[in-house]
Amino acid sequence: MALGEGAAGSVVPQRLQTRIKRIALVLVAALVAVFVTVPVYVMVAVAVQSPAAVFRGGDVNLLIDSLTLRNFRVLIEDTNTIQYFANSLIVTASSTVLSTALAVAAGYGLTRFEFTGKTVAARAVLFAYMFSPIVLAIPLYVIFFSLGLLNSYFALTMALTAISAPFTIWLMWQYFQTVPISLEESAWVRGASRTRTLWDVVLPVARPGYISAAIFSFAVAWNDFTMSRVVMSNDEMYTITVGASLFLDRVTIGWGETMAVSLLICIPPFLIAVFLQNYLLQGFNVGGLE
Amino acid sequence: MARPIHLDSVRKEYRSAGSVHVAVDDLTLSIPEGSFTTLVGPSGCGKTTTLRMIAGLETPTEGRLSFGDEDVTGQSPQDRNCAMVFQSIALYPHMTVRRNIGYGLKVQGVPKDERDRRIDEAAETLQITEQLEKMPAELSGGQQQRVALGSAFVQDPDVLLLDEPMSDLDAKLKAELRVEVQRLHQELDATVVYVTHDQTEAMTMSDQVILLNQGRLEQFAPPGELFDAPVSEYVARFIGTPSTNLLPATVAETDDGYALAGDGFGVLAPADRFADRVGDSITVGIRPQYLSADGGDYELTVIAGVVEQLGTEFVVHGHTPDGTDVDAVSTAFGAVEHGDELVVGFDPGDLFVFDADGRTICHGDALAGETPRQSP
Repeated sequence: MALGEGAAGSVVPQRLQTRIKRIALVLVAALVAVFVTVPVYVMVAVAVQSPAAVFRGGDVNLLIDSLTLRNFRVLIEDTNTIQYFANSLIVTASSTVLSTALAVAAGYGLTRFEFTGKTVAARAVLFAYMFSPIVLAIPLYVIFFSLGLLNSYFALTMALTAISAPFTIWLMWQYFQTVPISLEESAWVRGASRTRTLWDVVLPVARPGYISAAIFSFAVAWNDFTMSRVVMSNDEMYTITVGASLFLDRVTIGWGETMAVSLLICIPPFLIAVFLQNYLLQGFNVGGLE
Repeated sequence: MARPIHLDSVRKEYRSAGSVHVAVDDLTLSIPEGSFTTLVGPSGCGKTTTLRMIAGLETPTEGRLSFGDEDVTGQSPQDRNCAMVFQSIALYPHMTVRRNIGYGLKVQGVPKDERDRRIDEAAETLQITEQLEKMPAELSGGQQQRVALGSAFVQDPDVLLLDEPMSDLDAKLKAELRVEVQRLHQELDATVVYVTHDQTEAMTMSDQVILLNQGRLEQFAPPGELFDAPVSEYVARFIGTPSTNLLPATVAETDDGYALAGDGFGVLAPADRFADRVGDSITVGIRPQYLSADGGDYELTVIAGVVEQLGTEFVVHGHTPDGTDVDAVSTAFGAVEHGDELVVGFDPGDLFVFDADGRTICHGDALAGETPRQSP
């Protein structure tokens, strides 16, 4: 067998391979981009034009040739959208904070302390993550009903945290394992207490990890429909996802307003993606989710 | 203020899944205050565990540990005035060099002006003033190690612990930092305990060397004594490069008295030590440096294998006719080639004699008095 036979470049020249790889990459990226951007474009086009302009002549006219805030005005004047949006912000913020704090505490504990039942606890966390929200929804409904907590921010925050926490705990557990123990030990030897070390040394080093965890729990909470639908039955307490889904049942609300509310729903995740994307990638790399 | 460190029957075991691993076993020793003491031994001999117990990062399973008169066995690392330099360097990646060095002082509540003054002073001593505002990731390995030393230095510790701080550095940097560490020791009023697996570091830097063997104390002595008067075969093999040659021999009774008879030599031995050992297998140790190309009271035949040049000296790795490995070092071996048969000489005064268990029976000075009968 000749030297180098069977190695890369023996059948197809190296340079051609590189070129094919690059072209394939561009093609796949373009395809994905089309699939993602077209619906978003349709949403924006319908949201920022008046229904009369969009549906003129019996067709759906998707070229944006006029701009109006009419749809948004209808939302604000005729519906509870602002209330829904506020509800969503409140429960999402509380659940994000709670889930991240829980993940940091549990992840640190699982990484740095030995205790009986540790493996069982860790497995239980992962197992809990396998449940779909709807499986948890009915038991949670029964629990919150018995406790008289239905239609409360507290109940929804707890329910949403129950969905996101298993994953965030697991993520932080993985992330803390990448923080060398010697960093902590060196702080202890210099006189810093365990708590102080956690604040001064561990958390700053683990920042990409807990930001990822926060982003994940934000996404779970913000996009949640199931839990909100089950826990909240009062119109005043609906989150934006549930509220928006009910618009279509109403005679006074059309596609224009529905797309406008969808656009509103997209804004917070978009802002987060823009400002925190680097952290998100770093955190998930460690979690083995490249 | 420097404090002596006393270990009293210290034992450390690790339990996992039903098995017990003894890392340090019945270690008793006193490290004098202000001394530079090196803990040395091969990987897994318990030296790092011992250091971590002194730092308070591990608690002894049994035994007592004290700094001077103060029992610190159960004290947390925060309460002992120790400073430690880690093998992994352990700089905080999110702090500048200045904040890294000053972190310990900040924790202790030293005001900022005072902190900065001490940081600048330490930085000057270690020649890292220009790096103070950089992040650790921007520094080279040697500079990072200097920062770690600086962090320890500003603490003004009673006890300075260094855990293989140079194992990841190249030879040139090692030599440079070795001097730096010694200078630090002179400037600081601290008892320094230094862990290394590199016996050159141990021999060149320390006042005292602690050689451990599988968690037990093998020998605790100044470097020179470790070299000249090892208490066992293990010490003789570990200290010195190349390792001490070990030649199997038996104690024989001859017309002239007693002799240590090996392959091609019979060294006369004093009756008081060997009369009751006739017939025993023993091992004769001789350092490669003491095998000379000419002269010596006794002779040994060596068949050369590999010859290495070390500057002006040549190291011959060979074996005796019966297959025992022998190394010899001399400036006179330049012309030796593979397969050559050499006759090297040695003096009884340079020998070590070990019993079958590897303990030292006597050193060369006990043999030197017995002059061989000169052949006419």
